[in-house]
Amino acid sequence: MPNNLKSSKVWHKVKLVISYMLLAMASYSALAQRQEFNIILKSHLFYPTEMTIPSNKKIKLIIDNQDDSVEEFDSFSLNREKVLFPKQKSVIYIGPLSPGRYAFFGEYHPSSARGMIIVSGAELDLPADGETDNVN
Amino acid sequence: MFTFLRQRLLNHGLIRSLFCFTPLLISLVVSNAVLADGVVVDKVYHPYVLPNEREVEWRMLAQRENGVSNDLAQRFAYGQSVTDNLMLEFYLVGERDSNEDFSLSAYEIEARWMITEQGQYWADWGLLFEVEKEHKENNWEVTSGVIVEKEFGRTSLTLNAFIIYEWGDTLEDEMETEFRLQYRYRYLEQFQPAIEVYSGEDYLGVGPAFMGVQRFSGQKQLKWEAAFITGINSESQGHILRVAIEYEF
Repeated sequence: MPNNLKSSKVWHKVKLVISYMLLAMASYSALAQRQEFNIILKSHLFYPTEMTIPSNKKIKLIIDNQDDSVEEFDSFSLNREKVLFPKQKSVIYIGPLSPGRYAFFGEYHPSSARGMIIVSGAELDLPADGETDNVN
Repeated sequence: MFTFLRQRLLNHGLIRSLFCFTPLLISLVVSNAVLADGVVVDKVYHPYVLPNEREVEWRMLAQRENGVSNDLAQRFAYGQSVTDNLMLEFYLVGERDSNEDFSLSAYEIEARWMITEQGQYWADWGLLFEVEKEHKENNWEVTSGVIVEKEFGRTSLTLNAFIIYEWGDTLEDEMETEFRLQYRYRYLEQFQPAIEVYSGEDYLGVGPAFMGVQRFSGQKQLKWEAAFITGINSESQGHILRVAIEYEF
């Protein structure tokens, strides 16, 4: 097969991949609004230790690390790992999840920094939707 | 039974998402643009990078075709995240030649860039760039590509689509495409079964895989992966075993 023909086929595929990427990102940046939930990490403890969120919805979890040391949020069941820098707020996007209990912990202080996300199928009395979530 | 299964898949958005991916899959899987001069099977990359991440990695690839060839390649790597979302990795590649001698064959630098936060959008996106040079020849290979991962409940679908350009003293200049797919069930932290598909350079292979992670204190963790890939078209006979072990600290 001539080289220029091979190159044109490859270029066609590149354009297709880029189109998909831009389309997906554009559509979701327009639609993305998430309910926000807040957790504080202080003295290597999460407050609150248990939090209930709605099922089958994406939510935005904001963790305020008030400690002087770095921590790493970790949860196999939530499929999330996130470094929590000291004196900073970090955002973790979670869900959509089916009803159940999802444990999380801090990798540097696993015996004290522990918590639970409870996903409820029932209607929850939740705060109003948060702002647009294009921040980290 | 089938109604229940269909409902489960719909609930997870799998069918809808596969529908969205289908043109991408077809365009990449039905790739016949290049001659076979390399091995397509390797690691399926995930788009995630953590700050302060450092790792050492060993990868092994053994290929056996019709009881004739018995190729072996190994990679040793050191990687480090240099920003919150950019990971650099340096590789030494060793291969066993036709005289059964194992020696350094190439070196490589790789950059993996996490471009969206995990879970923020419909899927998670990353980019990969690699430059590889053969040790004894003035032959080069540059790879760039897209990494996509989408979560469906307790399963994750990961797609890698790469464009590769090769040139050098003993290589014909050519552009190639490669496609890798992994569908993983996050059953247990230490045992996550998966199916992997590899396509490119006239090769099409599929096979089972498993991976896992054992956590230690802090950021220290040991990850492992293994897959047994079988060629399924007329030009991809034989089997490939791939193993990867990674220690993060």
